[in-house]
This record gives sequence, C-alpha cells and structure tokens, in this order.
Amino acid sequence: MISKDCVAMILAGGQGSRLGALTKNVAKPAVPFGGKYRIIDFPLSNCVHSGIDTVGVLTQYQPLELNTYIGNGTPWDLDRNNGGVYVLPPYQSANAGEWYKGTANAIYQNISFLEGFNPENVLILSGDHIYKMHYGDMLEAHKKNDAAITIAVMPVPWDEASRFGIMNVDEEGKIVEFEEKPKNPKSNLASMGIYIFKYDVLKKYLSEDEHDPESSNDFGKNIIPKMLEKGEKMMSYTFEGYWKDVGTVQSLWEANMDLIDTPPKFELYEKHWNIYSRNLALSPHYIGSGAKVTRSTVTEGCTICGNVDHSVIFSDVSIGEGSEIKDSVVFPGAVIGKNVKIEKAVIGQNAVIGDGAEIGMTEVADNKYASAMCTHGIVLIEGTAVVAAGESIPKGSMVESQQD
Amino acid sequence: MNYIMRDTMGIIIAGDEKIPPITDIRSIAAMPIAGRYRIIDFVLSNMANAGIVNVGVATRSKYSSLMDHIKSGKPWDLDRKKQGLNILPPDLERTMGRIEGDLDLLAGIRDYIRRSHQTYVILVMGAGVYNINFKKVLASHKENQADITIVYKDMSGSEERELSRFTLLDINSENCVTDIEDKPYYPKTSNAGLGIYVMEKALLESIIDECSARGDHDFIKDAIAKKMEGLRIFGYKFEGYADIVDSMKSYYRNNMLFLQEDIRKELFNPKSPIYTKTKDQTPAKYGDEAEVSNCFISDGCIIEGKIENCILSRGVKIAKNAVVRNSIIMQDAIIEEGVELDYVVFDKEVHITKGRRLIGQECYPLAIAKGTIV
Repeated sequence: MISKDCVAMILAGGQGSRLGALTKNVAKPAVPFGGKYRIIDFPLSNCVHSGIDTVGVLTQYQPLELNTYIGNGTPWDLDRNNGGVYVLPPYQSANAGEWYKGTANAIYQNISFLEGFNPENVLILSGDHIYKMHYGDMLEAHKKNDAAITIAVMPVPWDEASRFGIMNVDEEGKIVEFEEKPKNPKSNLASMGIYIFKYDVLKKYLSEDEHDPESSNDFGKNIIPKMLEKGEKMMSYTFEGYWKDVGTVQSLWEANMDLIDTPPKFELYEKHWNIYSRNLALSPHYIGSGAKVTRSTVTEGCTICGNVDHSVIFSDVSIGEGSEIKDSVVFPGAVIGKNVKIEKAVIGQNAVIGDGAEIGMTEVADNKYASAMCTHGIVLIEGTAVVAAGESIPKGSMVESQQD
Repeated sequence: MNYIMRDTMGIIIAGDEKIPPITDIRSIAAMPIAGRYRIIDFVLSNMANAGIVNVGVATRSKYSSLMDHIKSGKPWDLDRKKQGLNILPPDLERTMGRIEGDLDLLAGIRDYIRRSHQTYVILVMGAGVYNINFKKVLASHKENQADITIVYKDMSGSEERELSRFTLLDINSENCVTDIEDKPYYPKTSNAGLGIYVMEKALLESIIDECSARGDHDFIKDAIAKKMEGLRIFGYKFEGYADIVDSMKSYYRNNMLFLQEDIRKELFNPKSPIYTKTKDQTPAKYGDEAEVSNCFISDGCIIEGKIENCILSRGVKIAKNAVVRNSIIMQDAIIEEGVELDYVVFDKEVHITKGRRLIGQECYPLAIAKGTIV
C-alpha cells in the first residue's frame, strides 16, 4: 500500500448538549447548517479541497443519522480505492472494549486504523466548526518547521480571549505556553482544535497518556501540556478568516445569520472552495405570486408563498400565504401554514407550524416553554414538533416534539 | 424500488430535432429544462425508479454534452458492476458515415442489444417530458400478451398542428392499435404516441435485422407501420401529463408549465423522484431589493432585481434594477443592472451588460446562444 502523507481524523462523537433539542436524536456534526449542509460537510470539504483523501470520522453519540449521511463518501468524492472516508465507532476487542473516554483516547483506540495507512502526519479535526481552511498550507508549514505538532490558532478579540484555550507564542510562532481559559490572557491567539501531529510523536504520547491513570485522555487538557513539558517542538499556524464554533443554539443561529448579511461575514459562493453535501433529488424551489423574499437564502424543493426576510430556508420547506418569517433559520422539510408569524427562531426538521401560529413575537414572564438553552430570545422548535394553529410561542422558548 | 425489473432493459434514442441555437452544441435530450434538469433526466429517472438496471443511450451527434451530463450514471444509481448505464455513440463505419433514421442507430447498437440478457426492451425515442411508471406499462404488455405496446396520450382538444407533431394511433375498443400514421398533416385521431415502445428483445432484434437487410431507416414508418398485419400491437393509455419537446415553442411551453402547481406536483412526485447530476451549488440568495413572483429557481442563483414568471437554472445572477419576465435563463447567466428582458430563452453563460433591453414574444421567444455577450 502507498503510505499516506497525511490522514485526517474528525472527532464527531460529542453530544452537543448545549444545542438542546437539536441534538436529541443526532450527533452535533449532523446538525443542518447553511441551507443545505450539515456541520460535518465543512471539515470534510476542507479535507477534499486540501488534497487529503483519507479521513476517519470518530462517532459515538447518536451515530445513526451521521453514519447514513456519510455513507460511502461519494458526495465529498471520498469513495476511493486507496483511502476514502471511514466511520469509526468504538468497538469490542479480545481483551478490551469501551466507549471513547476523551478526544485522545478516541484516537488511541483507532491507532490500528492509522497504522493501516502508515501516514507521515495525522490531522486532528473537530466535527463541529464552521470554516473554510486549506489544511495543505498548514501541513506545508508543519513540514517546513519540522515540528512535532502544529496547532492552528486564530486571533480573537481580547475581551473574549478568556473563553478560549490561549496559545502564547514567540516571534517565530513557536508555542511556549498554553493556558485553558485564562483569566488574564497574555495573548489573543486561540486554539482552533486543529492539530497536525507527526505520526510517531502522536503514537508515543497517546500510548503514554493511555497508561496514565490520572489523565482524562484529552488533547487540550493532557496531551498538549505534556508535550510542552517535554520540550517538543510545537508550532502555531495562524489562521485568519471566518471560524465559528456552533456549540450553542445562539451561535448556530448567529452563524446562519452570518451567511445572509450584506456583505456576508461568511461567503459560501466561492466556486474554488465549494462545500459538498449529500444532495437530495429535489426540484428547484418555487416562489409564488404573492410572495416576497429578501435578504435570505432559499434551497431546492421549497415552495414559498409568504414573506421571508433575513432568513435561511433549508430544502423542501413550505411556507403558506400570508406568513411572515423574519431573522429565522428553517430546517429541511418544515411545513409552515398560512398567516404564521415567526421571528428569531430555529425551526427543526419536519416541524409543523399550524395556520395563524405566532412564534417569537411576544415576551411572557411565566413562559412554560422557557429554556436555558434558548438565550437572547431565540425560539427553538424541535424537529417533528407540532405547533397548533393559532398558538403563540413566546421568545426564549424551546418546544419539544411529542414523538419518540 | 422493491420490485426489480431484471427482465427488462431500456434503450433511449437521443432525438435529432433541431432547436437552434440551443441544440447547436448538444442533442435535444441534453437540453436544460425546469431549471436544474436535462430533458433525458425524466426518462432515465423513470427507468431507474422502475428498477431497470441496464439502460443504453444511443446517441447520434453532438453527444459530448450528454456524456458529460450522464457520465457513469451515478445520479440514477445506474453505475453498476454489471450492465448499468451505457452511452452508445453511433457506429459511423457501419453506416458509411450516414445516419438517416433511428433504425440506423439501432443497427449500430445491435451487438449491445444481443449481449444484454433481458427478455424485454423498453425503447424510448424523442425528448419526452413525463413521469411514467414503466412497471405498469410492462405489466399491461404482459397481460395483453402483446407483441408491441405503444404508450400514448389522448390529446383531444389540441389543435391539429399540435397533433401533427406526434405518431398518431388508431385504437379500437380492445386497446389494439389498428393504424399508425407518423406525423400526418391531417390528423385523424388524437391518440398521440409518446415514443415509448415495449416488446421482447428478440422481436426488436429481428426487426433490426430485417430492416437493415432491406436498407430501411425509419423505425415507425418502415418497421412498425408496415408490419402491423402480423403483430399484436397494443396501446397503453397514459393519463398523466406528457409532451415531447421538438421545437422552440414546445420547449418554451414545457418549461413554463413548471410554474403550475399541479404539474410540479405530478412531475416531481417524491414517490418517483427525477434525478439529475448534482453541482454542489450553494442555496439561492435574495438581495434586499429582490422582487420575485411566480418563479422556479435553482440553487446557486443570486437575485437582486425583479423577476416574474421565470425559470432559472443554477448559478444565474440578476443585478439590482434588472427586470426579467416570462423567460428561461440557463446556468450561470449574468444579467447586469438596469437590464430589461421579456420572453427570452438564454443558453448557458449568456451575459447581458448594463441597461440592455431584449424583448421576444410568447409565440416567438428570443433565443440566445451559449456564452453570448450582449
């Protein structure tokens, strides 16, 4: 077998509990994003555009939908003879067998997968970030520096730096210190959770970490500090561009809104770096005679007869006459009746909103739907949930599906 | 697709009608339709949905566009280890460089037909727009113990000129075809053949051999119409929407009809989807001054102007203050500010610069060739 220059491993096992009802039945990387994508389309497409043709996707929490979505990798051109995309769930072996305990342990349990490709380098990615990045450039820098590990960092506003894992670097970009959520940050370079390891270095540290009973088997908490302690050559790679962790309902909503600002904060209309996704066999969308659509994106399969402003409408959504949708994200297959008013909401897959319902239009002190997940007044309607005709759902609500 | 039609193969003969300038660079089967599709997608998807796993597409000329569209047949799930989709370019050597009729094409793919192991053939000619269940057609063929079954649609109410575009069938009360006239000037019946013929593969082979030995060229006129006496030919009446694209007029009409809800629902029925090559375009984007009414719009479009009664393919850009009405705009067109368009049909990558006005008529839409800059 031809050995690989670089194999990517995408950590896609997390629950994404702060996404509330959106991740009740699916893993976070399978959550819809941007009109026709799932979050995992971004790292997968980045890999393909960067010339990385072998990708392991480590799944654990609610993997069925994600597995089905990835399938044999054809949509990303990752159905290859030598390489391609592989879904890697935890498994039983002769004398062990356990869940992935942490990010490092998840990779450790799949060392034999990596061994099969005998890579020079391993790229570790998260399955829950929205960005476009050429990993090839980072790999070049990693090789040129002859680094044991290269960590992608991005400058964040100073007042937000204490929310991130901060890398303190010298003038050559060498990492000298790592601080997890520092109170008084010395730098504003945040780790993006993107690492390129020399494979032999990765193996060594994973194996040591595995035998350390004190360790929580996490890259950020254990592996990186250990490598610093041992004086390994650790380089930073600065990324300047759009990057967003869509871990909360608010950040997911915001990241969708970022696509429709003028000019957009995040531009998807770049032919040389398009994001691939599994396409459904849907017709073009239809905009009716009485409809008005402004500052929005609409995807194939939709039928829009109402007014849509500043919203992201996913595929196969129908919106009835007289309805007004504003500042909202409507996931695939949702059916919105006539004369519905929706503001600042995330409407889940195949949710049904009855005629005349109002969502996010009022503020109520004693809201039975109130949820800590729904900050900033955003309303979240779970997939397949039904909002009855004429019902009013106040700001900050989370409406769950009655179906099991 | 629970029932797999392993005993049936499909043969599609790409038509050779000319619709300039759109067919200057491609066969009619590869003409863009309904925004993101090509005309051949309908019949290919119908065959795939019926579970047919061996489909041959016989091409005549200018087939690179068709080949590029179909490639391995993946969107129709026809990329198979055995059989699957086969693009069959014409055997010009055999016909001494001349293809005078569809029989010449069939003779050219004689070996492919012989090698296929299926018992039945669904032979489709012409660029049809329909969503038909071939399983039902085949079941009726078997039930009638027919030699040939011809799918038709009763087009009573249509103008004579419209009917003259079709192969017309006289059909008796037992559904037997008693007479066939191909595109007659004075139509005697309104039973319009849709260019879909079902028969046993062995019969098709014997027709091809006999006709090519006699130097015949036309499948309908030379083979079927002349052989009616000895054959049990049945009609299968199709009740849904169906038409054949063979002129700019029928092309325009068969695009605009997708603005009708009932037609959209019938032709894009989720139970029998129409597949096409995917382009991984972003969703369509609407600007703050966009005004859109009664339009069918594909992914990748960016709309900032005003559009009404239009069919837009993927990646069309319409700038602010541009007004586009009653038009079919194919992939990647760029319409700049202040442009006014009415009744136009634009091939791919047409670019209309600032402030230009181009106005066609409903009976004669203004068609512009691929890549034209105005």
